[in-house]
Amino acid sequence: MTNAEILKAVEESLVEVAGDELLVAGPITPATSFNADLELESIEFVALAEKLQQRFGGTVDFVGWISKKELDQLIALTVGELVEFIASCRP
Amino acid sequence: MPTVTANGLAMHVQELGAGPPVVMAHGLVIGSLASWYFTAAPELAREHRVRMYDLRGHGRSARPPTGYDTTTLAGDLAALTEDLPAFDLVGHSWGGLVALRFALAHPERVRRLAIVEGPLPPSSALELASVLGPAVTPETLLAALPESLRAAVATGRRQAERLVATVVALVRDTTLLADVRAEPEPDASGLRIPTLLAYGDRSSCLPGGRRLAAAIPGARLLVLPGGHYLHLDARAQLAEALGAHLRG
Repeated sequence: MTNAEILKAVEESLVEVAGDELLVAGPITPATSFNADLELESIEFVALAEKLQQRFGGTVDFVGWISKKELDQLIALTVGELVEFIASCRP
Repeated sequence: MPTVTANGLAMHVQELGAGPPVVMAHGLVIGSLASWYFTAAPELAREHRVRMYDLRGHGRSARPPTGYDTTTLAGDLAALTEDLPAFDLVGHSWGGLVALRFALAHPERVRRLAIVEGPLPPSSALELASVLGPAVTPETLLAALPESLRAAVATGRRQAERLVATVVALVRDTTLLADVRAEPEPDASGLRIPTLLAYGDRSSCLPGGRRLAAAIPGARLLVLPGGHYLHLDARAQLAEALGAHLRG
């Protein structure tokens, strides 16, 4: 799976969780921030984690990865960082 | 197990990890299970099966018009944990008072208890939520948010507007305010469960924590640097302290 395919999957999961209003401001890119750009609520972020876990399986420990980040890193998290993380977990 | 039915309500539940179970309850109004999911839960999930849920009216759980008192909420907790053996219980703020109420009613179900920033008297919870006026706006809401989240939410409108919608719905469409005002002071003197009380050194709840520590036999009061939103202000320290307490 290429990073572009993972990005597409993340975008689909985001829309499932928070609706396609997220795409109104423009396409989701690696530089898109979950907080500043998408303004995802924390409970939506939980739902996203659940979707990604279902989609990518147990090899992607999304919550473990999140838990190692400081709060300010979490607030600044981008879609690209998430895509890179998922890519790094997959054989 | 994202949505389960408890007491006739659709409740949003999430689990992390495996091991002896621990159940975590969050605080009112701006809280949701995300309060724990991105703070102490992943750390506890290294050794525990961590179950978190959105209180009624919050997050992705149903929002019924009544039942925000700790007795009803402890009933929701009982329904959501029927399938578990005796478990550890952690609650923040109002969730801490719910945990206490549950532990007093069902002592055989709770192994160890941790109350984080539980407000005493219970009605003082309303002082914390100074957003709960009749005319909540994104601005008043922002002012009442934990400092660590304020900058994040201030970057735009969607989060603030959605938070305001939640607050307005809880205030206008439910008995939450009246329930909090009418909540009786818990009598915790009969509690015989190992209890950790974690409070922030800058929190207005700390005197209540000291009272609880004096009332609960053997309870340990831990004061960490931070305010009421201790899971954010002292994220790593609180997670470590909870882990150590649950380990016994």
